[in-house]
Amino acid sequence: MIDKTLAERGASARLECEVNGSPVSIGISPSTRLLSVLREELKLTGTKRSCEIGRCGACMVLVDGKPVNSCLTMAYQCSGKKITTIEGLANEEKLHPVQQCFLEEGGYQCGYCTPGMIISVKAMLDENPNPTMEQIEEAMSGNLCRCTGYGGILRSIARAIEIGGQPNDR
Amino acid sequence: MAMNQEELLRSPAVWQPRTVEEAVGLKQSLGADSAYAAGTTLLRTQWEAGTAAVPKHLIDLGSIEDLSGISETENGLRIGSMTSLTQCRNSGLVGERAPLLADAVKAIAGWSVRNLATLGGNVMYRVGDSVPALIALNAELEWRDGSQLILESAEEWASAPSAASRILTAIRIPGGDGDPTSNAKRFYAYHKVGRREAFTPSLVTVAIQGTLEADGSISAIRIAAGGGQTTPSRLTRAEELLLGESLRAERLQEVHEAVLDQYAPKADPFATDLYRKQTAANLVAAALWTTSQSTAAKG
Repeated sequence: MIDKTLAERGASARLECEVNGSPVSIGISPSTRLLSVLREELKLTGTKRSCEIGRCGACMVLVDGKPVNSCLTMAYQCSGKKITTIEGLANEEKLHPVQQCFLEEGGYQCGYCTPGMIISVKAMLDENPNPTMEQIEEAMSGNLCRCTGYGGILRSIARAIEIGGQPNDR
Repeated sequence: MAMNQEELLRSPAVWQPRTVEEAVGLKQSLGADSAYAAGTTLLRTQWEAGTAAVPKHLIDLGSIEDLSGISETENGLRIGSMTSLTQCRNSGLVGERAPLLADAVKAIAGWSVRNLATLGGNVMYRVGDSVPALIALNAELEWRDGSQLILESAEEWASAPSAASRILTAIRIPGGDGDPTSNAKRFYAYHKVGRREAFTPSLVTVAIQGTLEADGSISAIRIAAGGGQTTPSRLTRAEELLLGESLRAERLQEVHEAVLDQYAPKADPFATDLYRKQTAANLVAAALWTTSQSTAAKG
C-alpha cells in the first residue's frame, strides 16, 4: 500500500507544454512517447518514426532548444517544456535558412531522415554558428541517412554556416 | 484519434517523488513492479529490444530537487547523479579536473541522447562506458537509502552491485588542482573501440590515469577496462608492472602481456574474447607509449 502523501505523487494524466509556440494541453498517459504525442495526437507527422531506439535521429525534435530523440522521451519529461518540431521552423512566408540550404544543395534523396537532420543542424548552429568539421561530425553523429552518402548533407551544412543559419529565429 | 492501443497497454504509471526519502518509500511500496527512471534512454531501448520488461510503475528521479549539477569540493568534484551527459561533456570543471571523464562521456551515444541521459544512469548500467573512466579516476559513489548516506568506490560497485532500494545521488571524483610546486605530470587516456567510429556500442573500452614524476618514473597509475557486456574492472597486474618504473619499450611489452592475461572480456557472436583481449592490450600499450613519447619530446 502506498501511504497518502506518496499517493499524491502520481504524475498527471494531462500533458501541458508548448509545441511550436502554441500552448498544448492533452489528456494522455504520462509515459506515452513524445513521438506518439506529436504524430498521433497532434498530427505533426513531419517528425518521423524509424528505429525507435534513439539511434537514427529521424524523430529528432527540440525540447527547450536542445535536440532530443522523441522516441526516447516520455510525456511527463516534457511537462512545461517548449517543443519545436520541423513544422515549427519555417514561418508563413519563408523556409528556415537551414531548410532552404538542404533544398538548394540537395541535402536529401528519399527525405525520410531530413526533418531530423534539419533539426539537429539548427540546434548545432544555434549553439555554435561556426562549427569545425569535428564538431559537425559530433553534433550529427546521431542522424543516419541511408541515401545520400552524406555529401549533400555536409554541403547543405557548409552553406548554412556560410549564410549564418539562424535568422528568423523564434 | 485514440493513442496506439499497444502503447497504452504498455504505459507504466509515473510517480514523481520530491525527495530521496519519498522515492525510496515508493520503491519499497511498489516493489518489483517498479523501476527508478533517470534519463530513460537505456530503459526505453531495453523495452523496445525486449531485453527488459516494461514495469507497471516508473519512479521519476527527475522530480527530486538537488540531484543534478557539478560542483567543486575540498577533495575534488561532486557530480549529481541526474546531471546529463551533455552537462558533463560541456563542463569546464570536468574538462579541467577530470578530462578523462570528459573524454569518456563524449564517446557515449550521440548528442541528442546525451541531452537526456544522465551520468548516474550510465553508472547504474554498470557496463556504461563512463564506468572504466570513473574506476581509473578512483571515483566514489554517494548513495542514500532514505536516512543514511553510503559511500562506495566505483570499482566496488562494478564488481559487486547491491540490490538495495537505495538511490545514487552523486559521483565524487578526487583530486584538486594538484601541488603547483611539483614537477609531477598527470597523464590520462580513454579509448573506446566499437564497430564504427561514432555513436557505437563499445567492444572494448580502456581508461588510464596516472602521474609521471620529473625523473620519468610513474608514481601513481590506475588502469581499467570494460566494453560491451564486460563488467569494467582494474588491470592490476599492468599497474603493478608500471608503478615506480619508467615507460620503457621492454616494460610496455610486459604490460601488453599482463593485459592479455588479466582482462577477461565477454565475447559475443561479433567479436571473440581473443580479439577483445588483443585490442585492450594494444590500446593500453599504445596509450602509454604515446605518453612516453610526448614526455620525451617535452623533456
